[in-house]
Amino acid sequence: MANDLKPMPRLTSINRPFFEACNAGELRLQRCTACAKHVYFPRVCCPHCGGGALEWVAVSGRGTIRTHTLVRRPQHPSFFPEAPYHVLAVTLEEGPLMYSRLAGEAPEDADLIGRKVRVTFSQEAPGQKLPFFELA
Amino acid sequence: MGPGYEGVYVVGTGQTTYEKKTDKPVQRLIWEASNLALRSAGLGFRDVDGLGVTAFTLGPDNVTTMTEHMGLTCRWLFQGLYGGASGVSGMLQAARAIQHGDAEVVVIVAADAFDVTSHMNMSRNPGQHDYMGPWGYGAANGIFAMHTRLYMKEFGATREDFGRLCIAQRENAMLNPNALLRTRMGMEDYLNARPVADPLRLFDCVLPCCGADAVVLASEAVARRLDVPLIRILGGGEVHNHPADDIYRFSAGWETFAGRMWNTAGLGPRDMDFVQLYDDYPLMEFVQLEGMGFAPRGGAGTLIRDNDCTVRGTLPINTGGGQLSAGQCGASGGMIGVYEAVTQLRHEAGDRQVPDARHGVVAGYGQVSYGRGLSASACVLGRE
Ligand SMILES: [Zn+2]
Repeated sequence: MANDLKPMPRLTSINRPFFEACNAGELRLQRCTACAKHVYFPRVCCPHCGGGALEWVAVSGRGTIRTHTLVRRPQHPSFFPEAPYHVLAVTLEEGPLMYSRLAGEAPEDADLIGRKVRVTFSQEAPGQKLPFFELA
Repeated sequence: MGPGYEGVYVVGTGQTTYEKKTDKPVQRLIWEASNLALRSAGLGFRDVDGLGVTAFTLGPDNVTTMTEHMGLTCRWLFQGLYGGASGVSGMLQAARAIQHGDAEVVVIVAADAFDVTSHMNMSRNPGQHDYMGPWGYGAANGIFAMHTRLYMKEFGATREDFGRLCIAQRENAMLNPNALLRTRMGMEDYLNARPVADPLRLFDCVLPCCGADAVVLASEAVARRLDVPLIRILGGGEVHNHPADDIYRFSAGWETFAGRMWNTAGLGPRDMDFVQLYDDYPLMEFVQLEGMGFAPRGGAGTLIRDNDCTVRGTLPINTGGGQLSAGQCGASGGMIGVYEAVTQLRHEAGDRQVPDARHGVVAGYGQVSYGRGLSASACVLGRE
């Protein structure tokens, strides 16, 4: 049944390096060769300076929780068995904001804003690992 | 030509029945609302030479094939790609076209035949689909739960602060025969509703439904011939992807154009007889009130506490119940406030009429992508 399968990203020439690095257990982001800023989500150009030369670089995998929610009623049925779970907005040490999930347990009513986290990878589909974050 | 919209009038408005389900295709809803709006103006489809359409479920049709569908020959077209900001945005752009003689009678309409299932199947932009969806982000509920939690922590807002606004809107909806949610809601009902994505619960979230809203804009030459109250756009603005570098500044940019909007109108927030906000979530209403200068940043909760936001109150907000209590017909969520504002200014709002309403402001917001909506719009409307 299609509803058992989690929605997966549409792979393109632009975002494939990110998702392939996830499968290798590595967090890689684009970095602008002109202004040296990191970029996420993957872009065709640098949203900071408009430059067109982006390179893929490994990043620390460390960040801080900017905000979060406990999703109790997921939209997609494939997530029903896992609910409730914490969805996180993580400010990575290198600058960009990454939406992800909490790996490991935390109380349902936990205030996680400002907590330090580090990346871990979760096999979310047969062919795709995704970055999750655990409390540091 | 100055920043104002002189020489352009809002001469008609229409709203279909809001329904939880319908067999009608979205094209039919577009026709129904357009027809009602034209009739309220004393005009017909043969008078129309401009059309603006916003509907998430319209594809593979589009505004051009809708002219073919309805037999219109148009000199000016607009297709709203700014989600719930498109209604106001389309009006402002149509007004510029009319000012310059590129059109004389324009219908701006939004519609969707949306239920929970089609909401789930709707094709989403990459920001949501590829970089949030695989993590089970909870769709718009999850996105705005995260904004709401951070706002509550930064400004000390409480669930009760949001509840007061939702309850006032429900009271307004009880006076609106076309609203889908018309049972009285108390604070305990609001606070104890089914949790969805913490801190959001059921009555923080809109009810997806089916329907359409439309307005008709006309040149002064046409408007003066009609037997309708003359309503003008006194000021307005829109902005997209603001601020470009921070999703969590509790802004989609209303403050970037609000000063100019109020100056052009020669009016300020305190002169408004009502406020129609884009209420996909009560947090976004707080952000709009703050961005448009009704309250300082973080101060909307106090504003709501100090005012009565029902149609009989000191600061009537979403006088028909808004999307939270009337329903969200997809993209028409960006037009329900326009319809309601024009209906109030025409003094045709029945039991929910704000007495002698002369001036009101309408805000739009939409195109939710990576963690937030990208488009903000607003306009001030006034009755001559
Ligand atoms: Zn750059």
